[in-house]
Amino acid sequence: MEAGSLRLPPGGRSLDERSPASRAADPFFRWGLTVLATLVLALIAFFFIFLVSKAQPALSKFGLLGFVFKDNWDVSRNIYEAWSLVVGTIVTSVIALVLGVPVAVAAALYVTELCPARAKGALTILIDLLAAVPSVVYGLWGVFVLIPHLKPAEQWFSDTFSFLPFVGGSVAGPNVFIAGLILAIMILPIVSAISREVILTVPRDHKEAALALGATRWEMLRIAVLPYSRSGIVGASMLGLGRAIGETIAVTLVVGNAPNVPHQIFDQGYTLAAVIANEFGEAANNPLHVGALIAAGLVLFVLTLAVNAAARAIVNRTVPA
Amino acid sequence: MSIIRIAPALASVAALAVGVAACGSGDTGNSNSGSSNSSKSSTLSGAGSTFAAPVYSEWANQLKSQGITLNYQPVGSGAGIASLQKGTVNFAGSDPALAPEDKQGLTKGKAVQVPMFFGAITLSYNLPGVKQKLKIDGATAAGIFATKIKKWNDPAIAKLNPGVKLPATNITVVHRSDSSGTTKGFTTFLSDYSPSWKSQYGADKDIKWAAGTTGAKGNDGVAAAIKQTEGAIGYVEQAYALQNHFTFFDVKNAAGKYIAPTLASTTAAGDGLKVPADLGISTINSPNKAAYPIASQTFVDVYHDLCKAGMSQSVASGLKKFLTFGLGQGQSVAKQLQFATLPSSIQSQAMQAVDGLQCNGKTL
Amino acid sequence: MTALTAVSGRRRRTDRAARGVLLALTGVALIPLVLVVYYLLKRGLGAISWDFFTTDPTGSFLGDPGGIKSAILGTIEIVALATLIAVPVGVLVALYLVEFGRGKRFGNLVRYFVDVMTGVPSIVFGLFIYIVLVTSSFVGVGFAGWKGGVALALLMLPVVIRSGEVVLLLVPDGLREAALALGAPRWKVALRVVLPSALPGLITGSLLAIARAAGETAPLLFTSAYVLGTSFNLDGRMNSLPLQIFSDVGQAQDRLVQRAWGAALTLVALVLLLTLIARLFQRRNRYT
Repeated sequence: MEAGSLRLPPGGRSLDERSPASRAADPFFRWGLTVLATLVLALIAFFFIFLVSKAQPALSKFGLLGFVFKDNWDVSRNIYEAWSLVVGTIVTSVIALVLGVPVAVAAALYVTELCPARAKGALTILIDLLAAVPSVVYGLWGVFVLIPHLKPAEQWFSDTFSFLPFVGGSVAGPNVFIAGLILAIMILPIVSAISREVILTVPRDHKEAALALGATRWEMLRIAVLPYSRSGIVGASMLGLGRAIGETIAVTLVVGNAPNVPHQIFDQGYTLAAVIANEFGEAANNPLHVGALIAAGLVLFVLTLAVNAAARAIVNRTVPA
Repeated sequence: MSIIRIAPALASVAALAVGVAACGSGDTGNSNSGSSNSSKSSTLSGAGSTFAAPVYSEWANQLKSQGITLNYQPVGSGAGIASLQKGTVNFAGSDPALAPEDKQGLTKGKAVQVPMFFGAITLSYNLPGVKQKLKIDGATAAGIFATKIKKWNDPAIAKLNPGVKLPATNITVVHRSDSSGTTKGFTTFLSDYSPSWKSQYGADKDIKWAAGTTGAKGNDGVAAAIKQTEGAIGYVEQAYALQNHFTFFDVKNAAGKYIAPTLASTTAAGDGLKVPADLGISTINSPNKAAYPIASQTFVDVYHDLCKAGMSQSVASGLKKFLTFGLGQGQSVAKQLQFATLPSSIQSQAMQAVDGLQCNGKTL
Repeated sequence: MTALTAVSGRRRRTDRAARGVLLALTGVALIPLVLVVYYLLKRGLGAISWDFFTTDPTGSFLGDPGGIKSAILGTIEIVALATLIAVPVGVLVALYLVEFGRGKRFGNLVRYFVDVMTGVPSIVFGLFIYIVLVTSSFVGVGFAGWKGGVALALLMLPVVIRSGEVVLLLVPDGLREAALALGAPRWKVALRVVLPSALPGLITGSLLAIARAAGETAPLLFTSAYVLGTSFNLDGRMNSLPLQIFSDVGQAQDRLVQRAWGAALTLVALVLLLTLIARLFQRRNRYT
């Protein structure tokens, strides 16, 4: 908090006067920073425009709607219709939300409201540490630990609950459920952290009023905390969704890499991000294939953009920036 | 505070460094050539076939003492050719011969394909309970890989293996998810024996596999998938199968005999081959009586004029040394890994092609 | 004080059950971390040895697979380059947003676009750099470590800008006004007053961005590529820990898989260390 190096000469007036020399530097400083900021802006704009232009060959051949909604990703015949990829992306992300959000919100509630004060710091750091594990390590762990250990349980679940929609049939090793599970673990820290902040903004009066009226702790949470923070938690979940949609490496190692629409949760699948990682190498000299992969990246970009923008709008309403 | 003073300086240093690095990499296709300091050493980069990768990596080990560093990326034949087309590597490893569309994309000059050795594509499976060697033919294999045959005790398999107790386990089909020469070889074999396979799936480096099958990257990925899944079946090059102690099928060849993949049966596949002018041979489904039907050749693809394609003189001569070694001493190294060496007629034709490699018009 | 409404047994039981569920779910949230660390140690420790860190991967099919020396050095080099690019640029842009861009339309536009950039999946960055820098002849075709550094810098930039902006905004305006009142020009106020005050927070934000960049695989797949040998030439291919792990994870050989676990343990240790340092630093230097 020291104020730099402005020193007062003994008995003198001030110091770094606005002498013409130092004042002259001001406009350059401001101008320099503005140029830098503009360059960053230009870079982002270039990035977007570039992607759109490179995706042209594929988008013009199949049409944007055809690319997204038709199901035929056939590299050997040079046909790139990405519906199975879009479905795979959505399915894995939805599974991630269904599994991850309740746990994340429960953890956030516990840490902020119910936890003894001494454990709060440690618990918070531990949950946040989940975000520090790199994606490739989650993939490694998923391939050699999750998949073999969960396969018997998955098969049992598939056999016992086959009357449920999307359940039943044989269990492939890598499948969309495992991918969704790993994504759930990966979005847990971000959903939990933001939910924590949202829950902290609940005014004490609301909570104390509920308690004063005789509510139990749980009822207080149910009546005062959750309704107030509901939209913020929705926003947090959507940020998690945005992260899940874009995740590549962990997913490609455990999802099975089959460009077919999964019919049940233990089927192999494929996502937009995974297809880019797997196929860019052999696509390099085929403009249609490259265009299709970039178009997949664009769809991914637009999806995450929309989700993140909506999420931010919701969260900013609840949590003062 | 010193950090604030340093920050702009750091930024300009970083920018300068990036700028210098950018200017320095004007040498297209081989940014590694500048890193060697002696004229005798050179760094080669190649990419492609995982089928041939075990041999190339052993050759690389042996050539280190001669000052040649080889960086070979096993990314599959398709990606290898794409890299060569893009100019990010010096040579591509490709199992199938160059197709017209491949040659079209190789725009930096005339392309040369040099056959290197043969290998067996085994049909490996993971059935710990079955101790006997199983037999299979092309039509049944096509049925399995098209997921028409779903269980190991299916009558089609049982018919070929009388007296063997086959379990009722589900068959998990494992195939390549990347563009692969091994896939092309295997699907060529399947197409020869199953018209329905030929019309529905065809023979290519990358096909649209049936739903419910597992895709893995590289021969090593397929091996890993087979290893981890009981009841799995997949096509892997023999070196990988042997390394992981897989069991594999005896496959019925064109002469009607059930042949196990061995050094002898793989070599037999290369006997009496007709060699076209561009050396684009194919050993799949050889008519020889003793030949293993799913034996594949593999090539190294390079440009005829290496320097015009973007390499420096030292890298070009290093590449020639590598190829000469491979066709000479390297053949015995390949044999140790259970790859079959080239028959002498093909070997001499290959050597001729390598001897003819040029640098800016002059023979190396 | 008597309660206004007596708490029935049923409500008390629901309360206890609900709180139990919340506690249990919090435990569930911690299980993955425990399991990941457990397996990393169980399967990775066996690979760790002095040789592991000091030999390059050999790529040999039959013989010794080698260690991860080139991966560690490569990660350090590439991440260092990315940091050198992203941190100064990011801090300066954050400074712009706070000093000159507050409430202005242009400032809001920049802020909005930076937010957009945060949401871009890392693989899209990698693809972009691949097409612009690796396959076009703009700067020379080929994979290069510095191109990987640029891709990672793009990833780090929005994180540094955003966290930097938050931290710089926390510096009280009173400080700025005092300095201005004493006659300092704007640029001195920014560089000599605001930045030093916000330095701890800026360092924390940068450390977190570095930790994130060190673990990224997708951008490096397309830009620096996987290579065996150690190289100090940023203009050539360069190995890195995430790429080494990604390459080894799909292998069937047990030794290679074990090397993947050892490399993963090393990477996680590195990233956790950076993250913990950043968080502890943050706690010690909290403003309010």
